[in-house]
Amino acid sequence: MTVITAPTLETNRLTMRSPKRDDFHAVADFFSSERSRFIGGPLPIGGAWQFLTMMVGHWQMRGFGMWVITENHNDIGLGLVGFYRPVGWPEREIGWHIWSPETEGKGYALEAARAALEHAKSVLKWPTLVSYIVPDNTRSIVLAERLGATLDPNAELPEAGGCVCYRHALNGGDHV
Amino acid sequence: MIPTLITERLTLRPLKAADFDVFAEFYASDRSKLIGGPANREMSWRILAVEIGHWSLRGYGRWAVEETQSGRFAGVIGPWNPEGWPEPEIGWDLMAGFEGKGYATEAATAALAYAFDTLNWSTAISLVAEPNHGSRRVAQRLGAVQDGMFTHPRFGTMEVWRHTRPASGPSA
Repeated sequence: MTVITAPTLETNRLTMRSPKRDDFHAVADFFSSERSRFIGGPLPIGGAWQFLTMMVGHWQMRGFGMWVITENHNDIGLGLVGFYRPVGWPEREIGWHIWSPETEGKGYALEAARAALEHAKSVLKWPTLVSYIVPDNTRSIVLAERLGATLDPNAELPEAGGCVCYRHALNGGDHV
Repeated sequence: MIPTLITERLTLRPLKAADFDVFAEFYASDRSKLIGGPANREMSWRILAVEIGHWSLRGYGRWAVEETQSGRFAGVIGPWNPEGWPEPEIGWDLMAGFEGKGYATEAATAALAYAFDTLNWSTAISLVAEPNHGSRRVAQRLGAVQDGMFTHPRFGTMEVWRHTRPASGPSA
């Protein structure tokens, strides 16, 4: 079996790499806090481990996934940005989570999401991506809009419900 | 790189995305009740991703067990150590229709040898849900001895069965 690892992407300030075991403590801290409420948290330590492990397995199963972002000058994981499509997701999603409140407000999620969108457009040649966002998650909605996404009231939503869909048009497409 | 192990009747090979349908069928069935199921297809996909990702994060994990002659997917067996586990485990789950053939014992024997000889573990446990008599018998056949109980917040109370590395050098 070929082991698929994430291609490393570089932006002005950030490096985007495969999730790995060293990221676990930051992930566990994130999932122990209310900050994780928009993506199914808070979770106990076992749930946080499953989440990180699942993100690694996602790369293997789909050939794409979410990157851990770090600052260029160190390897400390700060959050996840990238593509997500488990079974039950009608389309490929681009998502972002910043793990610690200290890392917020620096524009890192925006910078990494722009790089991921560019990768989706020019390397993967995908026509479109969506972001499923809980309506209360106003920060995330602001970010989706800054990326140029628009609310798509007609999109099919994950069965679990509770989300709205923002659509990123990449190569002129508005559907998968 | 995930190794493949061959036993008399079984092939232990890496799990892959194409295993999803049979995996989801298992997790939809009552057979999965003792290991946190039943689970819908959405959850089953995530569980498979967790199995595959475990190899990358720990350097070891569980294999898909195939009946070599038929190529059919018979179970998921091997070393397992998520955060929140009391210590590294050798776990075995058999798909419906593959019970009673000694497959769990055969595959777990190979997995134990791998844990002791290649991973250099000095001991391993297997967690058995109390009502799971079939699994308890497998632990006994493997020579494990009961060593207390463990209560997991999600999976409940389980018997701890302990395997000890053979004293006289490599076991395989």
